[in-house]
Amino acid sequence: MLCQHCQKNEANMHMKRIINGSATEVHLCSDCARSLGYGDSFSGFGLGFSDLFRDLLGKGERTLSGNALRCSLCGKSFDDIVESGRVGCAECYSTFYDKLLPTLRKIHGKTTHQGKVPSAFENSHKTQQSKVEKLKADLKKAVEKEDFETAAKLRDEINYIVNGGAAK
Amino acid sequence: MSAKWYLGTGVQNDVVISTSIHLVRNLSDFPFPHMLSLQDKLKVNTIIKNATDSLDNYNFNYLEMKTLSQYEVVSLAERHLVSPEFASSRDGRALLITEDEAVSVMLNEEDHIRFQVMYAAFSLDEAYRTANEIDNCLSDKLNFAFDDRIGYLTQDPTIIGTGMKASVVLHLPGLAAAMQIPKLISTVQKLGLTLRGSYGEGAAAKGDMFQLSNSITLGISEKAAIENLKSITLQIAAQERSAREEILKSNVTEDKIFRAYGTLKYARLLDTDEFMDLMSLVRLGAVKGIIKMDTAKIEGMMINMQPATISLSVDRPLDRNGRDALRAKRVREMLEM
Repeated sequence: MLCQHCQKNEANMHMKRIINGSATEVHLCSDCARSLGYGDSFSGFGLGFSDLFRDLLGKGERTLSGNALRCSLCGKSFDDIVESGRVGCAECYSTFYDKLLPTLRKIHGKTTHQGKVPSAFENSHKTQQSKVEKLKADLKKAVEKEDFETAAKLRDEINYIVNGGAAK
Repeated sequence: MSAKWYLGTGVQNDVVISTSIHLVRNLSDFPFPHMLSLQDKLKVNTIIKNATDSLDNYNFNYLEMKTLSQYEVVSLAERHLVSPEFASSRDGRALLITEDEAVSVMLNEEDHIRFQVMYAAFSLDEAYRTANEIDNCLSDKLNFAFDDRIGYLTQDPTIIGTGMKASVVLHLPGLAAAMQIPKLISTVQKLGLTLRGSYGEGAAAKGDMFQLSNSITLGISEKAAIENLKSITLQIAAQERSAREEILKSNVTEDKIFRAYGTLKYARLLDTDEFMDLMSLVRLGAVKGIIKMDTAKIEGMMINMQPATISLSVDRPLDRNGRDALRAKRVREMLEM
């Protein structure tokens, strides 16, 4: 199918938009989609929560690539999540962590869990937190000593743990 | 049959009708329900049901939703034991419920497990203690989906983190009469809470019943969310009491209360909306000592007179007129007692 806008390139972005109750299908190539602003607006007029979520997700997050990363447990790609407005499984949150985080921030204002930790995770959670605290203290000392090489290493290590890698 | 949870009484009961704690959990090994085949949903139900067998203090009845009639399912939703979403589709869904209906566990709603603990009046700490105890027992048997950074993982991202929604149902006839509800809705929103009609939606709440709950679940601990809800509830309750004083200064309100009582006592047809509005006035009269009536009885009537619930109490199908007549009859009987 050719792009509805330029009529030249192959359309590789297909969307359904619901405007005032009637569904409209849009088929565009990625260049036209971007120039027409579809890449960063994905708003519907539905009332359901998934519409709201989809709307939040869609703002600047939708990728236009064809062979997207898929979740290893449920098989959803990020585009599938945006399309349906629903996260497929727990694993999706790790697979698409960076892309989902801005949405979580929009909803809750924060992105770090506070509160209960299931017993099975308690030990690893505590070890990780104390490890980060120790590294932060070391980092502070390194900066005071103006040992910037060590400080940079420590900073990377903290970022690695905080962003999801396990404590080394 | 054991006494239902709503027949209890407690502190702040003039304004706070009930308290509930809602916890959402998912099994880490299965995709969320909307991605599951019917067969996998049934597998999930069995796994969770088996895990609840270890909860010795709670005698759960296990109900597969597809074995229930539409009336039975809607009645469960009217009694706030399941969500309207849960009632909308029955395949592969199941409910675990205690005899007193204080604890109900929805299986395969939008998440694998959504359970709630209900208490009469203002009992947030007690309700949380019970919910937490159940959660700990289940967590020993099941692998919950959890992430160190963003907490309990849920299909619905608005409840990710603690996965906890704490709510109170408030009776606000004074603030509603003073047209303060829309302002209140926007004020609590800024404080991370949501206020909406407990029966019916939004500002058009039936019977002046409103549900107040936390809307933020990520980055705030269970304890902090509950403390926040507690303090806002107490402030609203205080405002409601002064609004009641204000409207009761005039004998117009007293007249409305007695007229409501008279209508309930003698009417031959009562539809749900009218019934709820009259009961709101009667409840106000009862807590202010203007008419003599037990509030637990009022709470029980409000729950049991909803359309599907009242239809269930007789064997034959009822049309709207039949239902309104039956409701009026039941109300007359209750008021004679």
